[in-house]
Amino acid sequence: MIENVVERGIKLGRKLGVSEIEVYAIKRTGLDIVGTIRGVERVSSGERVDVGVRVVIGKKATVQGGLVSRVEDVDTIVETAVKIASTLPEDPQWISLPRSLGKSQVEGLVDPRIREPDIEYFIEIAQFLLKKAGEIDKRAFTSSVSVHITTAERAIGNSYGETLREESTELDVFVSVKAVEAGEESGYYDAYSAPTLARFNPEEMISKATEVAVKTLGAKRVDTGVYELILIPRVFAGVLQSLIVPAVCADSVQKGRSPLKGRIGSQVISENLTMIDDGTYQGLTGTRGFDDEGVPTTRKSIFDRGTLKGFLYDTYTALVEGRSSTGNAFRGTPYSTPSPWISNLIVESGRGDLSDLVRDVRKGVVVYSTIGEWLSNPVSGLLNATITNGMYVENGEEKFPVRGVVISGNIYEVLKPADVRVSGEVESFGRYVLPANYIPKIVIAGK
Amino acid sequence: MVETDFAQWVLEKVLEKGVEQAVVRLQERVYESITYDTGVLRSYSVSRVVGLGIRAITKGGTGYAYTSSLDRNSVVRAIDRAVTLSKVASEFGKKSIASVSPVRDRFRVEFKVDPHQVDPKIKVDLVKEVNTNSMKRESIVSAITRLGLERDRRIILASEGTEIEVDVVGVGFAHMAVAKYGAVIERVSDRESFIGGYEYIEKRDWGVFAEEVDKLAVKASQAKTPPPGTYVAVVDNEVVGLLLHEAFGHASEGDGVVAGASILKGRIGEKVASELVTIVDAGVIEGGYPVPYDDEGVPKGKTVIVDRGVLKGYLTSRDTSKELDLEPTGNARAQDISFDTLVRQTNYYAEPRDRKVDELFEGITYGIYLKGRGAMGGQVNPSVGTYTFSIGPSYIIRNGEPSELVRGVVVSGNILETLKEVDAVANDLKITTSVFGGCGKGGQMVRVGDGGPHIRTRKIVVGGG
Repeated sequence: MIENVVERGIKLGRKLGVSEIEVYAIKRTGLDIVGTIRGVERVSSGERVDVGVRVVIGKKATVQGGLVSRVEDVDTIVETAVKIASTLPEDPQWISLPRSLGKSQVEGLVDPRIREPDIEYFIEIAQFLLKKAGEIDKRAFTSSVSVHITTAERAIGNSYGETLREESTELDVFVSVKAVEAGEESGYYDAYSAPTLARFNPEEMISKATEVAVKTLGAKRVDTGVYELILIPRVFAGVLQSLIVPAVCADSVQKGRSPLKGRIGSQVISENLTMIDDGTYQGLTGTRGFDDEGVPTTRKSIFDRGTLKGFLYDTYTALVEGRSSTGNAFRGTPYSTPSPWISNLIVESGRGDLSDLVRDVRKGVVVYSTIGEWLSNPVSGLLNATITNGMYVENGEEKFPVRGVVISGNIYEVLKPADVRVSGEVESFGRYVLPANYIPKIVIAGK
Repeated sequence: MVETDFAQWVLEKVLEKGVEQAVVRLQERVYESITYDTGVLRSYSVSRVVGLGIRAITKGGTGYAYTSSLDRNSVVRAIDRAVTLSKVASEFGKKSIASVSPVRDRFRVEFKVDPHQVDPKIKVDLVKEVNTNSMKRESIVSAITRLGLERDRRIILASEGTEIEVDVVGVGFAHMAVAKYGAVIERVSDRESFIGGYEYIEKRDWGVFAEEVDKLAVKASQAKTPPPGTYVAVVDNEVVGLLLHEAFGHASEGDGVVAGASILKGRIGEKVASELVTIVDAGVIEGGYPVPYDDEGVPKGKTVIVDRGVLKGYLTSRDTSKELDLEPTGNARAQDISFDTLVRQTNYYAEPRDRKVDELFEGITYGIYLKGRGAMGGQVNPSVGTYTFSIGPSYIIRNGEPSELVRGVVVSGNILETLKEVDAVANDLKITTSVFGGCGKGGQMVRVGDGGPHIRTRKIVVGGG
């Protein structure tokens, strides 16, 4: 159906005399299982087809879209888009939609066990996760479990080229564990997010979540001051996504909203940090053959040993600078204008595992989770995050749990020192392949 | 297709399959957004979401199915799926739901000018003028200006005989300015939303609104970050709203309480806040987002959560109310038909008391005046009560007066500590909502309202760089 929607929309746009038209359609089929302490609460399933249409008349561009019930519904979307586009002012920077579409070779996008799910198997997984925390430690119990299974079919085409189609699957499992002892409470979670079941290990998930929930019971605030910090990969991901990723997207740079503007070729962060964006990397949720404009995905360096190498572009921002898109066009919703974003972010590993990093800490905190890191300010580079699970470390040993303190600082100063480093062990989850990160100096607001 | 007759037909078909209870939801939502970014029209988008959601309960098992295709085959498939899933779920866990009396009602927001019928050129010109004027101001290096227009119509039918239609129209204007001072770049954003038609956009001078945001961004870019530590704070209406929503509201949601994931579990009757604090959740209130009925068709009245410092209740859906042995409060809400409901807040706020705002500053030799304009939002871990939020440019208080501006302010605390530290509550209740965002939970976003009067708290952790 979705290819028919795309082709029908393009044909109608041409007939109505538009300069350019692009139609994007995505069909998502989902199965969701939600469980709590009471057991499996709910099983849901459904399908939806979303369509986004970009119409250009001269240099006037608009995006319209919505959920569609039938192939013919695209007609109304195209007609409305044409009507609105003709009333708009010109965008002097507009050059064109992508003039050629294509796919990179990618593997492992579809897992048949997700595309045709055995509902009972996934319910049993949910039940296992619900029961297991209490078995591992009497102080713990699983407070919630969710299993989301999605199959997505995307199709995109524009008035310059062929229609592309790609299918992908995704499994997202989330388990939340709470621990209670002598009036003290603590909570932790673990999550799995990947296109296949290849790395799915529910035993490991529940063990990890239970272990941290229990060991951070009785947490307290540390005094306000300067500390060393270790961010486990998941926490490092949150910090990078909130501060670095928006700053390396070309639209932020071009509009003066990135502190990295004009700094290509400069050493911005520690030599121990190399970051790569790779939409072709196998096994991550951002892996695709083509981006949301139909441009092939690529692998490119963002920071090479701390030196800023380049930004991420969609077609619009690339053409403004007379260059090619890097295949990083993403749509927040199928009906929104594409803009640059990471596909998958890979930080090259260093040496040792997490315990090796901990061993070298004189006075610091290992951070297992934060909240509010996404409220940090990518425009100024100011990091702010509240630790919800952490362990205070003195002379290489974890001493007591920490929570409710705020870590603050400018990310480019925090990640700049030569002794910032990363572990050799990496974790793959969602759109990330990341090591743990050691920061030698950061301010913590506490007692 | 988004009509009660069609929903009735679907409900009958579901009930013919032998299910015990069912809820059918139909929805049509149109959202129009115009964005100017730094002098250029970045997007003019309109989206229309139409679909059907079906919840079936069989032998205590709940199944939910949805479809955006409303042709007969797709609808019949969705019905079959909901029923099948409910049967599968019943083998793995059973629960019962509170019975409710059937209600038939229609709620419509009155408006004078349909925002989606206003000439697109008029709307674009307004956003363009405000944005391009902003870009002419000294030190402003970037600006995003947005107009958001929304209509959300929902039909909810439940097997008890409930038939509800809720039709809400809302409009809003938002502006973000980025100012540069030396090497420092700083952003400030603000937004205002109204429940009603385009007349609310027409009667406001948005040029003045944006100019104030621009000036604040310029001042903030020249300001320092506050010294980190624990402060006495006067908190404005908007931050109080954020604080209550994040810090207390989420922990009072019944699904978290039932799951043992809320720090408020088992504390009804306990003192959880200063006796100056009364917190309520009301479905319909001036300034807020109207939720007269939830997505189970249950009336949403005014629920008292905290009465003079004592925890009185939780927000509930039909199933969590049964589990908690409380009345259903009408807080089961879903983002759209792709989701079954979760327990969510509607308009969550603190009741005002009798102090004047100025009186709250008296006696503070060194503290902070936390301001909401430019706030980015917040987050809480409801299981342990730790919250955080990023707020707007604020003022250090010296000798009872707001003095220098500070930027990059983030506050953090524990819900059971912060509200106990409240020692003054003002008389200036203000509640706001937004058509640009809302509250996120479980992957779903719903519109909410929040607010309260100014308050003073003796202890809050401030991080700032």
